[in-house]
Amino acid sequence: MSAAAELAALLARCGDGDRAAFAETYNRTSAKLFGVILRILPERGEAEDVLQEVYVTVWRKAAEFDAARASPITWLATIARNRAIDRFRSRSSRPSAPLDDAVDVRDETPLADQLIDTHRAASAVHAALATLEPRHAAAIRSTYFEGMTYEALAAREGIPVGTLKSWVRRGLMRMKAEMPA
Amino acid sequence: MSDHPAMIEGPPEGFNADDALAMDVALGALGREELRAAERRMRSDPAFRALVEGWQQTLSPLVDDVSAVAPPASVWEAIESEITPAARPVVAPAARSAWLTLGFWRGLAVGGVAGAALALAPVLLPGGPAAPPVLVATLAGTDGVPLVAATYDPARGSVIFAPATQRHDTGKSPELWVIEGKNPPRSLGVIDIGNPNAHLDARLKGLKPGSTLAISIEPLGGSPTGLPTGPVVATGTLSAV
Repeated sequence: MSAAAELAALLARCGDGDRAAFAETYNRTSAKLFGVILRILPERGEAEDVLQEVYVTVWRKAAEFDAARASPITWLATIARNRAIDRFRSRSSRPSAPLDDAVDVRDETPLADQLIDTHRAASAVHAALATLEPRHAAAIRSTYFEGMTYEALAAREGIPVGTLKSWVRRGLMRMKAEMPA
Repeated sequence: MSDHPAMIEGPPEGFNADDALAMDVALGALGREELRAAERRMRSDPAFRALVEGWQQTLSPLVDDVSAVAPPASVWEAIESEITPAARPVVAPAARSAWLTLGFWRGLAVGGVAGAALALAPVLLPGGPAAPPVLVATLAGTDGVPLVAATYDPARGSVIFAPATQRHDTGKSPELWVIEGKNPPRSLGVIDIGNPNAHLDARLKGLKPGSTLAISIEPLGGSPTGLPTGPVVATGTLSAV
């Protein structure tokens, strides 16, 4: 069974109230989700609070997970990002590095964990991002990883919001076109 | 879908306002209010929801870039105590009532409770001759005052709520439960009882006549334990129209 299929099976058992399956789900995924949350909320105490909220939500909503509609990691990452972004939005903005720096911060040490069968998918996304203009790709990364709004990112970059939206949206369409279906 | 999708400039891609909004939601680039509005729309518009889910799926391999960081053990301990009802009394003992005991719920499911008497709601939904029967319940408080009429459409797997009385539980979430036979209450999700609306949730599949629906008032986002923790404000039994 692939790692993703195993994770989907674990979530199904969580949905039935299986605590052992939930503990295993946590063991397999919490470090990755904590990393995702820390990118948006670098303050550790706050990130830990959000991680806790995320897994309580996962436990409560596991029965809603539908393997036909989303991969398990997409489902988990979406919950983690939504919670972290919501927390981030609930307070004022924090300082962040401009896009020219963001271009260089890509973490080149992925793929080390058993969490996902996304190696190929991740390569496809990176290949697609690589076809974009670097500032456009960096804008997509900053919104995705740092949870920044268009307004905040545009202000940081000193460009009109409309220009930024156009970069990001057209970049995404182009990315999607580049990726295997 | 919008009636008049606005085209964003810039061929050759060509995409409409819904596509653009779906990307924004999946990226997380919206402000809080816009995001909430989009999430509400996802609940009521499956086509839009599918667009957003498509983009979430497209973008999620990016998380592979993020370095894993092991959280401290205290996080798991906190999660465990939060999802274990016995480990942490959610309601102060004084506030506990018969509503909260499993025995009460079983009694309700088996025999019914005088105050939880139901009234049939004269609501009709379109449905072909072969469609499974629509079920209705009026959910009322112990005083018999109806709170909300619920209409369950098995074909769509949705419950339509028509509020009869307004409640204001600021900072709380009403949650819908079903009691089937002798089983403990099963959550059917957090609901809106402030306005007429359709509640869609995968857990609504297969509801049967004779089951009891109940609404409890829970912390924002729903019960942290998987069982009702707050006051049950209305109950009613599902029956065929």
